[in-house]
Amino acid sequence: MSLGEMFVSGLSAVWGGGTMFLMVVVAIVLGTIFGALPGVSATMAVALGLTFTYTMGPVPAIVFLTAIYCSSITGGSITAILFKIPGVPSSAPTTFDGYPMAQRGEAGKALGVALLASAIGGLFSALIMFLLATPLSKAALAFGNGDMFAITFLGLSILIVLDTEHILTTIISGLLGLLLACIGQDPMAGVARLTFGQTNLLSGMEMIPVLIGLFAVTEVLKQTTTKKRLSAEDGVGNKGKVNTKMPSMKELWSIKMTLLRCSIVGTVVGILPGAGATIASFMCYTMENKLSKYPEKFGTGIIDGIAASEASNNAATGGAMVPLLCLGIPGGNAAAVMASALALKGVQMGPRLLNVQPEFLSATFITMIVTNILMVIVAIGIAKVFAQILAVPYYYLGPIILLLAMIGSFSEGNIVGVFVMVIAGILGIVVKYMHLNSAAIVLGLVLGGMCEKYFSQAFQKAHIVTAEMGFGDYVAKVFESLFGSPISAIVMTCCILLLLSPIYMPLLKKVTGKGKQAA
Amino acid sequence: MFELICNVLLLVFLGYTYFTHVLEAKVPKSYLKNPNVLHPSVWPKLIIILLVICLVINIIKIFKKNKGNPEFSFGAFAKNSLVFLKSKMFIGMAILVIAALILEPLGFVVTAALLMFAYGMLLGEKIWWRLAIISCVLAVFLHIAFSGLLGVSLPRGTVPFLRDFSLFLENLF
Repeated sequence: MSLGEMFVSGLSAVWGGGTMFLMVVVAIVLGTIFGALPGVSATMAVALGLTFTYTMGPVPAIVFLTAIYCSSITGGSITAILFKIPGVPSSAPTTFDGYPMAQRGEAGKALGVALLASAIGGLFSALIMFLLATPLSKAALAFGNGDMFAITFLGLSILIVLDTEHILTTIISGLLGLLLACIGQDPMAGVARLTFGQTNLLSGMEMIPVLIGLFAVTEVLKQTTTKKRLSAEDGVGNKGKVNTKMPSMKELWSIKMTLLRCSIVGTVVGILPGAGATIASFMCYTMENKLSKYPEKFGTGIIDGIAASEASNNAATGGAMVPLLCLGIPGGNAAAVMASALALKGVQMGPRLLNVQPEFLSATFITMIVTNILMVIVAIGIAKVFAQILAVPYYYLGPIILLLAMIGSFSEGNIVGVFVMVIAGILGIVVKYMHLNSAAIVLGLVLGGMCEKYFSQAFQKAHIVTAEMGFGDYVAKVFESLFGSPISAIVMTCCILLLLSPIYMPLLKKVTGKGKQAA
Repeated sequence: MFELICNVLLLVFLGYTYFTHVLEAKVPKSYLKNPNVLHPSVWPKLIIILLVICLVINIIKIFKKNKGNPEFSFGAFAKNSLVFLKSKMFIGMAILVIAALILEPLGFVVTAALLMFAYGMLLGEKIWWRLAIISCVLAVFLHIAFSGLLGVSLPRGTVPFLRDFSLFLENLF
């Protein structure tokens, strides 16, 4: 099937006599609302969307779920900007600049930039995927465990530049996140670790309650001590009314390179199994901070930071669909939900899918194009509603956030999730007083499991084997696991350079400063 | 002082964990016979060692930073602790813990209404009857929306009449 034929086939699948198009619009509305609700993650949004697809065929089902997935990632930016609570984890970097802008009364502009950047990132990745799906999936298939470890470790190395003012406490936070990720059965031998005899912890630390606790509950608890609480004027200005303001051509031109770079990086990161929208957004935010002519302004409320985060996390959604459709490997949790939905309908995922039923690929990418355009309009309307919610006094809004947090933590039907959320919320306050970095804890927690799994597998496949493993053999085996392939060697070198940057960067600055003075 | 105490407590906890709880069961002998595999305790132990090193450096830094600070004493910490126990933040934490404890026996509707009312009063709502009405209506609405319409399972409670009420709400639509 030629590209043109695939395009037409995708269009007809999404239009579906008008009914399917209507379903796509419903999915976009639902996805944006779910994404915007604090505690309702993109995965949860896709899982909730499953209930609507039981009566649909396989292609309409994937169209519906893809629309929910893409729009929920964008929806997460609304609450990240207005409430400083990322609706989805990948919107966490959006809070760094979005919320300060909202506090300055520029919420409308921040939302405009977020929506436009999301649409550009999403459209870019959809287009690239449509053209390059097969060769890219072949490249991703060639990645070994050592390469995957190196890429995951790159995500962890980013911790060091999350907060350059408090490097030591940021490292402690990241390590704490990694340690939390070790709770439960180890990925290779299945032996219980760090469970303290609690059988509930055997399946590991529940991610969603921890995220809800650290990001939502802690914020509500903090509000009990502030004399001037979060209100419509503080958050969005103009008594809770938000008029989303699209950036001017001049502003858009000023962030053109940010949008391009982050769309490319987001797409590439999205393709890698396991490395999804969250890593992409953190990675791109840091990258833009490093490349910026004014890095000191990042975190104070500039459009570059919002554009970096939102363009990359939406670009990652397109990328995440490629390994799912071409290889049958879910690119992330949401993609895993979609894979199980398709398996229920008897669809055999894998490399053969493209040859036998190419309409899956064409329908998915046309849906992504349609969704990324329509969601801008839908999100503007939903942002208005959420801004009105901020006009409600905080003594109503705070408890409502807690109730949603409780629902989100219990959505897996386990009361332990609610306890984890409460403990995480209280620990979030302790973390604040210890000057630790909650974003670093979360990143460590999200990446910890993957990091260990890939390292263990790379170690197992390394060639050095002796019957009696001495310390030297052990070190050589570890070295081979980490630097065994050209990809892993390059990425690991980047990680080391990044980790050592706090040591050599001041020295470099000193040298260049002296050079300038001498000149 | 709070920062120092937390760092020291974390250090002690990590030491205890390192020696007692890294592995909760014996690793199968068949697994250990393979020289290619990584021992399950290597990764967490490596993280704990790195954490201990970082925490020790951090503790030294805290001491250096607070040298000569009159507030950096156990007396001042004890005084601040008493103030914290009377603070709204502590009451807020207590409300959350109680809500988590009563969620399973009383169910979502009652817990949500009580949590909203208690936290709303804590945050400064003066008109208690308005808050009480809104809390009840919202708890019922959320239960219907999430449990009844979206199919998200929420606790119905173990008390028979509360459980029946939750089921009644779920079957409304």
